[in-house]
Amino acid sequence: MAEAEAFPPPLILPLGDRSLLVRFGTTLSDEANRAAIAFGRRLGNRLPDGVSEIDPNLVSVLLKYDPERTDFDRLAGEVRLLAGALQPVDEALAATHRISVRFGGEGGPDLEAAAAALRMTPEAFIATHNALPLRVLTIGFAPGFAYCGFHPDVFRLPRRTEVRPPVPPGSVLFAAGQTAITSTSIPTGWHVIGRTDFRNFDPASDPPTTLREGDTVIFEAAEP
Amino acid sequence: MSALIRITRAGPMATIQDSGRFGALHHGISASGPMDRGAFERAGAAIANPGPEGIEFTRAGLAFTVAEGHFRARGEGGAFSLSVNGSPRDWPADLGLGAGDTIDITPGPAGNYGYLRFDHTIDVPIVIGSRATNLVAGLGGLDGRALKRGDSIVLTPVAGRGEVSVVPPAHRLVEDGPIRFVWGLHADLFAPPVRQAFLDANFVVSTRLDRMGVRLDDPSGVFAGAPILSLVSDAIVPGDMQILGDGTPIVLMRDHQPTGGYPRIATVITADLDRFAQMRPGTALAFAPVTLHKARTLYLASLRA
Repeated sequence: MAEAEAFPPPLILPLGDRSLLVRFGTTLSDEANRAAIAFGRRLGNRLPDGVSEIDPNLVSVLLKYDPERTDFDRLAGEVRLLAGALQPVDEALAATHRISVRFGGEGGPDLEAAAAALRMTPEAFIATHNALPLRVLTIGFAPGFAYCGFHPDVFRLPRRTEVRPPVPPGSVLFAAGQTAITSTSIPTGWHVIGRTDFRNFDPASDPPTTLREGDTVIFEAAEP
Repeated sequence: MSALIRITRAGPMATIQDSGRFGALHHGISASGPMDRGAFERAGAAIANPGPEGIEFTRAGLAFTVAEGHFRARGEGGAFSLSVNGSPRDWPADLGLGAGDTIDITPGPAGNYGYLRFDHTIDVPIVIGSRATNLVAGLGGLDGRALKRGDSIVLTPVAGRGEVSVVPPAHRLVEDGPIRFVWGLHADLFAPPVRQAFLDANFVVSTRLDRMGVRLDDPSGVFAGAPILSLVSDAIVPGDMQILGDGTPIVLMRDHQPTGGYPRIATVITADLDRFAQMRPGTALAFAPVTLHKARTLYLASLRA
């Protein structure tokens, strides 16, 4: 039955004196991420009194509140009720984005090393990478920075030991079972495997980002 | 009538700020806004019809000339030295300025951040709901960057007639007492002896401070042996104190990254964050825990101070 599939209740924590964090796990699991997305969607339509902003993260949802209008205890009580019997978002209804990537070459200097670390050819790496649709786990860390996951366990690499100097917007990154897309120039310790023309951030647009947590992303190799 | 000012000298990291770019965390953008929020608000409260923006400048100060028009300005925050057309003036300052005036704000005895607010709006584009400069993301303000010599800034009048608020008293610049915090998101991951040492130790504001964060020197090595943890990236708020892999404590400020994966032992309370932001490099400080209830009471009291 549907109730049997509900997510386990989250931990409700203060983060400073004007934010509350609803945390569904302390490690990045598929279930915790899906729960955070589901709770963000549930809150999206009816923010509790005194809450000014919510931000779904990888395994949590942040609620910023105005201490003049509510306090942590009261809000935590409301959040506990709101988080009850939380159901997954129906992924069949998720928006789907096809993102074309030029793998390797100048824009993807780590492709060959990442493939070699997985004992694959670059071609097999690209095919495996693109084989399954990924979910947008969250947008965060930097403007428009999109975390997408999860790759199968056999297709995982830790981050590099060294951080690269800033990579350009549109860089496609690979680490820890995820693929990420940069939208601004940032340094990164992820494997830089390709470049896309897709930009998930345009400050002149409303909203300024295109991808939303819970959306489906299908990566494709650009025609040579 | 519009006015025009020309920056003739800008210390590092002088920026245009408003109260902040709220509501954009889910796009990966933190709110920015003034480092000393109280000083920014006091400056606005002292002006009839304040524009919602102001110029935030740093220890080295700011100098500008008025090229066109006339306006009123209020200077607040820190303890700076000020002269108008070469004549010394008090700080905080109420100024009526017109074309030809030259304003020179130079380092004073205390504080890292000062503010100028105007009875005009600073005419830069609104980006994602705000004119605040986010130096890390390169958004808002003047082309998303710090002000520099030669910049021209257009001020446009604010509609309506307003009253000057009662100006609350300035915070004492050298306020005694520890910086108060509530225990952080990962406080439980620090061993009890480390948590106790954190409470007992003195830290020193380092020279590595900016709008993103303030690194602290840890002369007694409280966090020197802290284990390097691999944590899932989670939400950051201003005031969060994270411990870097090499044991360096850093208090994250207004241009913080929206999320981070370093362990956070504490979050500085809102009521003490302005005071912390104004502490200069070399200032020794200690930290003391308070309850959430106490933090909220202190915050509400600060609004009514």
